[in-house]
Amino acid sequence: MKNVAVLGVGMYRFGMYNDVSLGTMSREAGMMALRDAGLSFKDVNAAYVGHIFAPVMSGVRVMKEFGLTGIPIQRIENASATGSAAFREACLAVEAGHYDVVMVLGFDKMTAMIQQSSAGTSPENMEDAVLPAAFFALWATRRIHERGMKPEHLARIAAKNFNNGALNPMSQRQAKEHVTVEKVLGSRMVAWPLTTMMSCPIGDGAACAIVGRADLAKKLNPGRPVVKVVASALQSEKYAPGHLFQGPVVGPFQMSVDSSKQVYEESGLGPEDMNLVQVHDAFAIEELEYYELLGMCKRGEAEACIERGDFELGGRVPFSTDGGLIARGHPGGPTGLAQLWETTLQLRGEAGKRQVENARTGMCHMMGGGSVCVIHILQRG
Amino acid sequence: MSEQRKPRVPIKPGFFTVPDDPNEAPKFLGTRCESCGEHFFPRRAICAKCLSENTADVEMEGRGTLFSYTFVHFPLFGSTNMEHMDGYGVGQIDLPEGPRLQAPLAGKQAEFKIGQQLKAELDVLREEPGRDVVIFRFRPVEAAK
Repeated sequence: MKNVAVLGVGMYRFGMYNDVSLGTMSREAGMMALRDAGLSFKDVNAAYVGHIFAPVMSGVRVMKEFGLTGIPIQRIENASATGSAAFREACLAVEAGHYDVVMVLGFDKMTAMIQQSSAGTSPENMEDAVLPAAFFALWATRRIHERGMKPEHLARIAAKNFNNGALNPMSQRQAKEHVTVEKVLGSRMVAWPLTTMMSCPIGDGAACAIVGRADLAKKLNPGRPVVKVVASALQSEKYAPGHLFQGPVVGPFQMSVDSSKQVYEESGLGPEDMNLVQVHDAFAIEELEYYELLGMCKRGEAEACIERGDFELGGRVPFSTDGGLIARGHPGGPTGLAQLWETTLQLRGEAGKRQVENARTGMCHMMGGGSVCVIHILQRG
Repeated sequence: MSEQRKPRVPIKPGFFTVPDDPNEAPKFLGTRCESCGEHFFPRRAICAKCLSENTADVEMEGRGTLFSYTFVHFPLFGSTNMEHMDGYGVGQIDLPEGPRLQAPLAGKQAEFKIGQQLKAELDVLREEPGRDVVIFRFRPVEAAK
């Protein structure tokens, strides 16, 4: 990808908002992104909206908040990877020359969804028996068996993400004091060995990215570094023996390996070039596996890297610098766009207390249940 | 157990058998690809591996090997069985023919061990007038040491 940049980003802090509508959250995130880009809604050629739980037609309805200009509006849905998948479509359309400026808007109210009835304990769709926490706990038990991982390793990842979140005003969870490994281990058990603090919260929120031609970025904000999108990949599952068809599925592991190879190849970069990484850390065990699957360390070395602090702020390659899904939150549609918000600020040098020194290149990785993997690499131009 | 047994019905048809004998393990309704030999659960029309449409329905024995497990500290959704109120085990189980399943596990957390042999059984999820709604779960053949 050669001619695509993130022109602006905006967020409505994730949280539990009974009294705030999807329209309000989305308008505020969208207007923030437009102001950040130095653009008005008149300049937007098209919009891709991402929502999972919001009802049918929510996309076009919410977009009316910005004014009725007749632009094409499309909804994209890919479970947790919804925002990332919508962002990818915008990038592809700009790269292909169809549009100069595209709005990517993600929103959801997960708190409203939880009140509805769910899928049921049906044999092909075990979502109520194999809860997301249980599904990822199965990864953790397997890792303990194969690699000797200890719950302390997961607690250290979760504590890191809580403490990163405390440096991010947009983080849903704001720890009042430094979070320790002991505190994470002592929180309530959800599905052994995963505790509540090793798991992301539910929430509501919105996030927006304005994507456009890279040459526009310099014109619009001459004094600011240009953040280019240099690679994009989206992959669904490939069959291999032992493949899970029934029940909730996020994975298989090979999807993250293959998708990361694609973005490394497209960008001419490697894992050693990444200065920071955002991943689908809905549960701490996921972040641990992604260290290896994305090539940030060799297979089997994640535990040793965690003990050395390789992935903490100030470490070799910081992960989940904004708090990740565990602290910053995971409402659904906007989650992937929050990763792009964080990476854009980091590459511009605008990330405040959590700024990664000399950040030039960042990766955003999302998994969507079902399942898909979406990865983008952003680079300061 | 009462002598007067209510008829057992699967929570959804097309996935497992419900034998008349309550001591008999259910079988899994799957698919074998006649072109490449791969087995699948649940049933499907097109082979996911070689894309052949030449597939056949098969029944697979209700037994397997535990690939991974956890214990969920919440009541099992929709269950009226007291045994499910304090939480329940969940596992990934490899059938001898190849497919990997996800299912609830019977027993306490300390009884589960990766690699152990399990057998399937039917579990009453809820009692309805005139019938019991059942799902499958797996139980260790021998309790883990």
